[in-house]
Amino acid sequence: MAYPTEQTDDLKRYCEKLSLLPEGGVSFLLMEGLRLPAGCQPLVCDALLCPVAKDGYPSRLYLSVQVVSTYTRNWNCSNARIGERNWFAFSWKVELLNPTLTQLLIAHLNGFAKEK
Amino acid sequence: MASDSNQIETDIQELEVDLREFAERGEAVPHAGVYRVRIDDETVKVHTRCPTGEELLRKVGKRPCGFELIAEFRHHENSVVEPHEKVDLRQHGLKGFITAHKETVTIFINDKPYPIERGERTVAEILSKVGQTPEGYTLMEEKDGPPLPLPPNLPVKICGCEIFHSQAQSGGSS
Repeated sequence: MAYPTEQTDDLKRYCEKLSLLPEGGVSFLLMEGLRLPAGCQPLVCDALLCPVAKDGYPSRLYLSVQVVSTYTRNWNCSNARIGERNWFAFSWKVELLNPTLTQLLIAHLNGFAKEK
Repeated sequence: MASDSNQIETDIQELEVDLREFAERGEAVPHAGVYRVRIDDETVKVHTRCPTGEELLRKVGKRPCGFELIAEFRHHENSVVEPHEKVDLRQHGLKGFITAHKETVTIFINDKPYPIERGERTVAEILSKVGQTPEGYTLMEEKDGPPLPLPPNLPVKICGCEIFHSQAQSGGSS
């Protein structure tokens, strides 16, 4: 699956390197050096954005580490093996109608900046 | 005759004067092509006789959303220069300028300017400027990169000129 170039170009602003990682019929967006919101530890990590339904969620953001943030999150996905790497994700449901990739990313990052 | 006036104009354009030197000598500043102006500890070159306060601030990498410009005259007289106010660099006794942090600075939320006190502010305080609350909206700051969400339980440092965006809340723990 290809994503619109203007959307992937916009997404590049948030990380050092953006590439496609196709696996299991899903085109993951690999974001190396993704900047995380204030209060996160670390402030930068690698991430995989999955813009399609997976694991019962409409979309998911996998992170290379279990990030410590100002609000405690339910990390219900640990060591998911994608692209020969281990990934972590917290329970966060984003329900947006036809979001752009950046809107989707922001909605997931908002999980670090929102109490519930 | 015409060539004489052209020569005079050329001479003026090439003339570079230092405001401070003329002010210290108590002399009138002549018409010149370049005015050397002291702002804080820097000497900058200004190519127009009547720059605005904002243009002068930008010469030292500062903006009116965070700083004010103060003109210094002989005999220790000072006056604040507003950002859009034109300053005649040839006015008598003008020595130069200093800048100062504003107490009430300007921030930008969704591309519109809003005044706010400098220091640590809450997300709720900032969102209230646009009639929104953290319960319904996410505040995002554009800082050294694209906008990222700010947690409402952390203070936001305001120095002036910060750029924020707000967007309706989306997503939640499940």
